Amino acid sequence: APDEIVAKSRFWYFLRQLKKVRKVNGEILRMTLVSNSSPTKIKNFGIWVRYDSRSGSHNMYREYRDVSTTGAVTQCYRDMAARHRARAHSIQIMKVEEVKAGDCKRPIIKQMHNSTLKFPLPHRIHKYNKKTIFV
Amino acid sequence: GDLVQSKKQWYQRRVRGYIEIGRVCFIRLGDDIGKSGVIVDLVDQKHLLVDGPDGIGRKVLRLNQVALTDIKINIPRGCKTKTVRTAMAKEGVEAKLAATSLVKKFAAKNAKAQLGDFARFKNRVAKTASNRKIRSTVRKLKKSS
Repeated sequence: APDEIVAKSRFWYFLRQLKKVRKVNGEILRMTLVSNSSPTKIKNFGIWVRYDSRSGSHNMYREYRDVSTTGAVTQCYRDMAARHRARAHSIQIMKVEEVKAGDCKRPIIKQMHNSTLKFPLPHRIHKYNKKTIFV
Repeated sequence: GDLVQSKKQWYQRRVRGYIEIGRVCFIRLGDDIGKSGVIVDLVDQKHLLVDGPDGIGRKVLRLNQVALTDIKINIPRGCKTKTVRTAMAKEGVEAKLAATSLVKKFAAKNAKAQLGDFARFKNRVAKTASNRKIRSTVRKLKKSS
């Protein structure tokens, strides 16, 4: 969640689905930020998503490579918006798990599992002028 | 066939260095502009894990923020900062970096940006004087030829 308020809101949203308790009847005792145990180790994340499309609800398994769980989930939200036009309110992240390299399924992720990986940048375009063209 | 070959050569001529583990890169955008680090791992097609042991530390950078140098050191994938430091010291990366045009140009640009008004005035005076000399010698040569 981007901030505490959204975090609490989503907490109640998911909890209501699992247990018979509402925000009115419940009380959040503590909110802590779960810190990243290895912020400089690149990990593969498997994310199980449930999302509402225009015509129905679907489950998905998606894989992302990132340094942190929150980073991978952010990538997932952006990816779902891009590929399936799914807005954040229609996405439910069901499970996020760090996946070992050998167990990854998606070729885009698996292509990075190469200890001698290298590639050139043959057609590099630099954007030097960051000013907007139109006012 | 021929077109493909010439395109390939065009690409090969433009490629200075590869994005690979151990490639030393110079940071051209962002908070750490002007510093450099070694590519320790690749997150995905657009992100690198870069380590500059006594400079930027270990962090993920976008490909966009980085310019490649010719320098490459030998390190295993995802190795610790300590390993990177010793490898850099062994290959003499500091000295090699200082000799690269990227670093030199950045230093010159930085120095120029930090000149005071008086320094810029002095530069301007020196430049007009040298330009005057150049133009007068060119005119003399033109007259004699």
